[in-house]
Amino acid sequence: MLKYILKRLGMSILILLGVSLIIYFLIRLMPVDFIQDKINAINQGGATVSEETVNAMYEMYGLGDNSFLGILKGYFSWLGALARFDLGTSFVYGIPVAQVIFEHMGISFAIALIATIFEFMIAIPLGITAATHQYSFRDYLVTVLVMIGISLPSFFFGNMLKDFFALKLGWFPASGLVDATASYTGIQLLGDYFVHMFIPILTIVILSIGARMRMTRTNMLEVMNSDYIRTARAKGLSEKVVINKHAFRNTLIPLVTSLAGLLPSLFSGAIITEQVFDLPGIGNIALDAMNRGDIPFIMGYNMFLALLSVLGVLLADLMYGIVDPRVKLE
Amino acid sequence: MNDIKEKETNEEKTVQEDDVPHDKTVRLMSPTRMVVRRFFRSKLSIIGLIMVIGLFIFSFAGPLLYTEWGEIELDESGKTEYSVSETTYTVDGKEYTIRQTTEKSLKDNFLDGPSATHILGTDNEGYDIFVRLMYGGRISLTVSFIAVFLITILGVILGGIAGYFGGAIDNIIMRLCDILICLPGIPILLIISTILDASEIDAKYRIYLLMIYLTFISWPGTARLVRGQILSLREQEYMVAAEAMGYSTSRQIFKHLVPNVMPQLIVSMSLSLGSMILYEATLSYLNLGVKAPYAAWGTMINIISTNQDILQNHLNVWVPAGVCIVIAVLGFNFIGDGLRDALDPKARR
Repeated sequence: MLKYILKRLGMSILILLGVSLIIYFLIRLMPVDFIQDKINAINQGGATVSEETVNAMYEMYGLGDNSFLGILKGYFSWLGALARFDLGTSFVYGIPVAQVIFEHMGISFAIALIATIFEFMIAIPLGITAATHQYSFRDYLVTVLVMIGISLPSFFFGNMLKDFFALKLGWFPASGLVDATASYTGIQLLGDYFVHMFIPILTIVILSIGARMRMTRTNMLEVMNSDYIRTARAKGLSEKVVINKHAFRNTLIPLVTSLAGLLPSLFSGAIITEQVFDLPGIGNIALDAMNRGDIPFIMGYNMFLALLSVLGVLLADLMYGIVDPRVKLE
Repeated sequence: MNDIKEKETNEEKTVQEDDVPHDKTVRLMSPTRMVVRRFFRSKLSIIGLIMVIGLFIFSFAGPLLYTEWGEIELDESGKTEYSVSETTYTVDGKEYTIRQTTEKSLKDNFLDGPSATHILGTDNEGYDIFVRLMYGGRISLTVSFIAVFLITILGVILGGIAGYFGGAIDNIIMRLCDILICLPGIPILLIISTILDASEIDAKYRIYLLMIYLTFISWPGTARLVRGQILSLREQEYMVAAEAMGYSTSRQIFKHLVPNVMPQLIVSMSLSLGSMILYEATLSYLNLGVKAPYAAWGTMINIISTNQDILQNHLNVWVPAGVCIVIAVLGFNFIGDGLRDALDPKARR
């Protein structure tokens, strides 16, 4: 087991190295130039910047050489800093990248966590009823509804909800995280957060229920067709006990494993949803950083995402071995 | 009663003997026919098929039949805009209100409501929305079909090679898959898109380049599926037989293994058609895919991210495009689902 984990960890580091190399080269090829924007801003302010200062600035930010070798050199200096647990300093914010990520991650995490809890609470019972009443009207209704949910583009559905609940009915604020005109504290502030996060969470939940519900339904159907369910029925157990005690518990295996796979989505932020509702989550910040050429932040953010997905896969495999004794890890 | 039974068993024997029923009342069904029948038995798959075919006709035949407006043809019939301003003065304790109406004549007939000339009205530039929906559909459907086609080819070839040869080749291909799967999708697409911006590529073709990139990061899913299937199929007797017959490697892979992976492949293809349409729409919505003046469903919704007035008061500008996206994705999902059930060898219905 320990050997397996160590082997997988070693593999993960190699994967991350590959990912970081690809991302770094792509980012350096981006035409968005933070320094140029900065110089333009200074020029507009009336001051002139000499050629030497410009070059010195490029050197200072490590962007002086844009040839293949120059980029490669930049990559290795980035990697060297990473080895010292330094993701660099964000161009735009002027503070360490890790700090920017950490500060904005909270809000994304809160939204994702609440949405995931609701998603599980709604999707699992739906999946079970659909499976126990296979081919009935109820099954079709639930299936069609969640399929519509899967098929909705987040930007379209988010805007529809925003238009209807926030702008037409005025029940909820349309964007942002806090009411800028009021200064709430304590419990009131929490309530304000909740009011602002309601529609974004609703959007995410409706869009994500489908996959989870269908997963539950498929697994439940598989379990319901197995021999031990027939045995349980044959020995005269009530249908309720058969479903709740015998079938559902075995459906939990893939559900629990999929918890580990949730890791990336919990922390990475929903870029589109945050953009639609103008929430200061990590996804929205990253979108902004990409438009402004904040290379260290984009690099840090993308590597953070890659790390999360590598960890997610690894954890899912480990969980599988723990939850299901039939699975042997090697 | 007994007679009939006997007849049936007799027939079964003849069928087994030479595969052709002598009695015309017995119908033989090939596995393909059974799949087709199971597929059409499900109402949802038929609805999905109708949705997708309908959209295809709408987007590809539509512009040929309805030629009133073009994709980038402005309605220059003009529009008069009135704005009223009120000013209240208080002179000697009496209130006077001066109401001033400004009439402004504009060249383009923009944000027109639905009418006989414009079935769904015009957008903020003065383009006909109904016609742009058709052209947008062309882009979305073409682009996603190309992407899925390329993904499948790449996935089958690389997954097939990895699964068949195993060992070091398998290891290299699978580690490449691991790396590509870990690349964050949307952020990288955003980066690539800004790179494309600088390279001065015609606005019409940039979406194709983006989708090619999408292919490049999406093939690992298919490759893993094909590899997994081939790993288990490789152990079966008929593959040993193929080997013993001295068939060439490529014949073994592409004639004997790949056809057996087809069922899973077809299902994953039809489901990924839906997700490709979503990807394309999202890119266009972020103004990274198809750019104005050209139409795509996502691009037509993009306007509401900056214009609150259209979001609130001109639903005819952006809702139809969203509905089209939902119909397309839902249609492909229904078909994929129907195919999955129809191709399931364990299915009894």
